[in-house]
Amino acid sequence: MAPLLQQVLRRKPVEAYAAEGEAGGLRRTIGLAQLSMFGIGATVGTGIFFVLSEAVPVAGPAVIVSFVIAGVVAGLTAICYAELASAVPVSGSSYSYAYATLGELVAMGVAACLLLEYGVSAAAVAVGWSQYLNELLDNVVGVAIPEALSASPEAGGVVNLPAVVLVALCSLLLVRGTSESARANAAMVVVKVAVLLLFVVVALAGWESDNLSDFAPFGLDGVTTAAGIIFFSYIGLDAVSTAGEEVEDPRRTMPLAILIALVTVTSLYVAVSVVAVAAQPQERFDGQEAGLAAILEDVTGSTWPGTVLAAGAVVSIFSITLVVLYGQTRILFAMGRDGMVPPLFARVDRRTQTPVAGTVVVGVAVGLLAGLLPIDFLAEMTSVGTLVAFLVVSVGVMVLRRTAPDLERGFRVPLYPVLPLASVAGCLWIISSLRGITLVVFAVWVAAVLAFYFAYGIRHSRLAGTEVGR
Amino acid sequence: MTLLVGVTHDERCAAVVHLAAQLARSAGEDLLLVAVVPTSWPPGPGRVDAEFRRHLAASADAALGRARTLLPDDVPARLVVHHARSAAAGLLEVAEGESTALVVLGSSAAGPLGRVALGSVADRLLHSSPVPVALATRGYRGEERVRRVTAAYGATAGGDDLVVAAAGVAARVGAPLRVASFAVHGPTIVTAGAGFRAEDDVVGTWVGEVRRAQQDVLARVAGLPVVPPSVDTVVGQGADWGAALGDVPWDGGDVLVVGSSAVGPVARVFLGSRASKVVRHSPVPVVVVPRRSAVSLAERAGHPAGAS
Repeated sequence: MAPLLQQVLRRKPVEAYAAEGEAGGLRRTIGLAQLSMFGIGATVGTGIFFVLSEAVPVAGPAVIVSFVIAGVVAGLTAICYAELASAVPVSGSSYSYAYATLGELVAMGVAACLLLEYGVSAAAVAVGWSQYLNELLDNVVGVAIPEALSASPEAGGVVNLPAVVLVALCSLLLVRGTSESARANAAMVVVKVAVLLLFVVVALAGWESDNLSDFAPFGLDGVTTAAGIIFFSYIGLDAVSTAGEEVEDPRRTMPLAILIALVTVTSLYVAVSVVAVAAQPQERFDGQEAGLAAILEDVTGSTWPGTVLAAGAVVSIFSITLVVLYGQTRILFAMGRDGMVPPLFARVDRRTQTPVAGTVVVGVAVGLLAGLLPIDFLAEMTSVGTLVAFLVVSVGVMVLRRTAPDLERGFRVPLYPVLPLASVAGCLWIISSLRGITLVVFAVWVAAVLAFYFAYGIRHSRLAGTEVGR
Repeated sequence: MTLLVGVTHDERCAAVVHLAAQLARSAGEDLLLVAVVPTSWPPGPGRVDAEFRRHLAASADAALGRARTLLPDDVPARLVVHHARSAAAGLLEVAEGESTALVVLGSSAAGPLGRVALGSVADRLLHSSPVPVALATRGYRGEERVRRVTAAYGATAGGDDLVVAAAGVAARVGAPLRVASFAVHGPTIVTAGAGFRAEDDVVGTWVGEVRRAQQDVLARVAGLPVVPPSVDTVVGQGADWGAALGDVPWDGGDVLVVGSSAVGPVARVFLGSRASKVVRHSPVPVVVVPRRSAVSLAERAGHPAGAS
């Protein structure tokens, strides 16, 4: 039993990561303003364009509070991420942090969460995209894609074709090259912030205080459940922390940038949700497709603001899908190189310098999810994956303080150990409020990934060879 | 074989003549300096633009005369004025008539100094020339001989043939061969959460693969009957193409050889997007080789007796 235990607890030395990077020392080039913008760009828009119709029926107008709770928990973990990122300067997100600090088995568990977080949220976002695309088509040319081709089987359709097409387009762009993708993304980030500001300004005209009167019809339970659903709107915050070794003056910059991004994004979300729930009675949110656009149409009595918003949403959600798919392929790349998944994922095309095979596999898998599963289920699955990954990172910070107290850290979590513990507690709180079926499916998924690990990864792991040699 | 030189009556003239002289001296070829004059339209005894045509003919003569004075005495050269629909078409017609090994052109005056910039004629020829096209950087002042041949490798299919062809040429002119690949670290999509270094790892893996491939192709070069005096490999990395090319050391006397794309007409030069970026950012003269030409040059390198 002991050798098995040794195997699953083996850790990838930080020096090994450094050797793989090969590109040499990192330059500290990223400043506070730039880093804050990264965080804001990464976070805004993921969920806000369509998550209200999922969250309001659960929480009522108190969804505003849910946004704040989800934001605070995400912020706490982002700060924990920041310490790990500055101590273990590697790519591959929390999978790599876990591999370097907690061992192979935990890393594989985290990988399961990340695959869920990235793969499923790409699918969830693509499904939301299809709603806005339909809205846009209906407004502009008066034609909507037939139900059979724009809804998942459970919702009465055959396949969600626009979502599948979106995933295919994004995969194609990623295969073409990284710089093309990055440029397309930057432009789309600008569009989405502008569009949300437009929504706030226009929808303010429809303010109706009565809509807020029954503020929390389902009490605290409803508020936390909604926070769980909303949570994945904030997963972009950890983008800030991945800059770990590349920011100037990390001790000051990292927490400040996370705070600035957090406050900005939460304000924007709260502003949007406040004017949204004030403009429309809560009952109408239930099952409403392309909700923000519909609200604008009701408020103004004309279709143009809704059209503009839908167009903006179509553009900005495209960028989210692109980015999340990108993250997914790069994490699988790191895993492929460690031998945790087949080397196919770590193969780089000679011509385009991108992992083409891995991108295609991810595109097909995410396309299937997006085409066949309903959005609320997808959104919840994403949240539980993210929450568990965040949980492991928060624990990882405390473990690493114990196991490697002398390791150089560019940034240290303030108020240790209160903040990591609060982060753990916050994650557990939101997880406990998720629906039972979500947790069961999640457990099955993690078990499946771990089964794959014991069947494949444990023997193909790059570290396996070194172990035998010893 | 002849090196065909497109001569114009402007600042490009000096750069292109200097490059042509350097190439001719190194390869032991002679030069054919060509100035193209537009034919009148419709062809016939039209006299309306006689004065204009006289002016063009005089300016072509002046351009050739100036080119001749710029040319060192030890390089044999013939001068030709050719009438054609356009400069590009005229150069191609002459190239077909003579047994041309290479067309030499200058950079557009609109480009930055010390860089290759494609003017309209060069652009046209890069899409339609059946023979390699050499492009001088803007303001190029030339060297005595070609001191090193650098083959850009890894960007297109058929890259191995190009390296072997370049090796053959390098062996013939007695210059060392260098195989150079360029890795551009695209900006990471910062919002992906996979880490700011995710792209470094991908590029790092690519670099590892391309280094192995470079060794493989050098093994092929080592098997040639006549090999260059020395071989070397290098990988330039940077945030963009300019930085990646700048990451590689360059000397006077360097010539960069770039292959055409796998897409497009097989027989002709047709620059792929990556090859054209390499061309545009090259600080040294570039020779663009059409794919079929690379294959036949590679075969010649394998059977040098037939070539001489």
